[in-house]
Amino acid sequence: MKFLAVTACPSGVAHTYMAAEALAKACKEKGIECKVETQGSIGIENEITAEDVASADCIILTKDMPIKNEERFANIPKVRIAISDAVKKAPAIVNKVEKAMLAKK
Amino acid sequence: MNIYTKKGNEIMKQESEVISILKNVRQHLMGGVSYMIPVVVTGGILYAIATMLSMNSVTTSGSVEASNIFIDVLSQIGGVGLGMMVPVLSAFIAMSIADRPGIAPGLICGQLAVNVGSGFIGGVIAGLLCGIVAQYLKRVPLPKSMQSLKSIMIVPIFTSLIVGTITICIVGSPCAWLLDALTAWLTSMSGASAILVGAITGAMIGSDLGGPINKVAYSTGVAVVGTTVLAGENCAFMGPISLAICVPPLALGIETFILKKKFTQEEKDAGVGAIAMGVCGISEGAISYTTASPILIPINMIACAAGGALAGALGTYSNAGWGGLVVLPVTSGLTYLLSIVVGIAVHAVLVMFLKKDAVEEVVDNDEDADVDLDIEF
Repeated sequence: MKFLAVTACPSGVAHTYMAAEALAKACKEKGIECKVETQGSIGIENEITAEDVASADCIILTKDMPIKNEERFANIPKVRIAISDAVKKAPAIVNKVEKAMLAKK
Repeated sequence: MNIYTKKGNEIMKQESEVISILKNVRQHLMGGVSYMIPVVVTGGILYAIATMLSMNSVTTSGSVEASNIFIDVLSQIGGVGLGMMVPVLSAFIAMSIADRPGIAPGLICGQLAVNVGSGFIGGVIAGLLCGIVAQYLKRVPLPKSMQSLKSIMIVPIFTSLIVGTITICIVGSPCAWLLDALTAWLTSMSGASAILVGAITGAMIGSDLGGPINKVAYSTGVAVVGTTVLAGENCAFMGPISLAICVPPLALGIETFILKKKFTQEEKDAGVGAIAMGVCGISEGAISYTTASPILIPINMIACAAGGALAGALGTYSNAGWGGLVVLPVTSGLTYLLSIVVGIAVHAVLVMFLKKDAVEEVVDNDEDADVDLDIEF
């Protein structure tokens, strides 16, 4: 299984990166491959490529801010979460998303 | 499929688009704010340094008098930065909704909102309108030959025309009228009991921290200061205003050190900054705390009103069209300080009892914890 994620928060200096770290860690613990793009005040970092999208099962997006270039993910399932949940409850999010993806398969 | 259903579908689709913009209004506002923050911080800090350095030459008109070239340069740079705050906000709200075609009309209409005196609120309205109008104009079908002109000319020009007209003719006058009425009411009130006036102007300063209500009290104060100081008298009307300006940021900054449980780590880190902004007379230093917990709005107002009322009772005056501790040399000194301390103390007590403890964002390792997911396949 491979997840993608994009995180972004209003000030773009703290939560964006805390959420990215929490999601990456939670995926790693479950043995899920994961790539997290951050859209902070410094700009886009660790950008998700077309190949990433082609090989991924779904994309997790934070919904507090408009996500830049969201059209890249038109063809894969999207999961929208609040950024504060991503920081606080990343393991539960990853668990639920994994279940949902398995159920769909 | 016949043409009517097709048209019907089209209309349905358009309606749902406005609804989706309005549903995501918070997202778009936050998008705009995130671009505005560096502008305000840069302009505000440079301007505050200029104010501090020219301590004795803060003029009655509220601007920084250039006593030397260095201060003049600083205050010019900072002033331009602060002046761009509202246009940048509306431009990026519009961009968040309509992408690049929203920027030009957002900038223009944001500045118009400032010019007609509707300030921050007018700017937010202008930004949202620009975004919505531009988003719809983008949909208007045009011959291929004109397609490339659409995003750089047609959409920005027509959006600016439409929203600009609305801003000037509709949004502007009620806001300006409201501001005028409030100003008239405030000045006519200055004959009433000084305590009441102090409490009311204080509460106004504390209410929206640099927003339109705050600015009505502040600009009335500046107008009154100008006339009284010219007449060779001390200005009691400005006293409560000058000191209320620094109560919320100073109080919150100090509280991050003494009431540690009430603030998150991020807020504690910003405490010193809030104190510095309070000293320089910038109420905006309290905004980040207040947006995070709205209970602070009444607390700020009550604390500022308490400080203002005491100032009224003590006959505290301020002869500068500015606030904070930087103007201390041109105020009544001791009574001015005392009123600030009382305001801060009231604030701290209210925060202690009314503000909820900060929830540190600890990672919850429970895999079955309740989370809101919104999955689209």
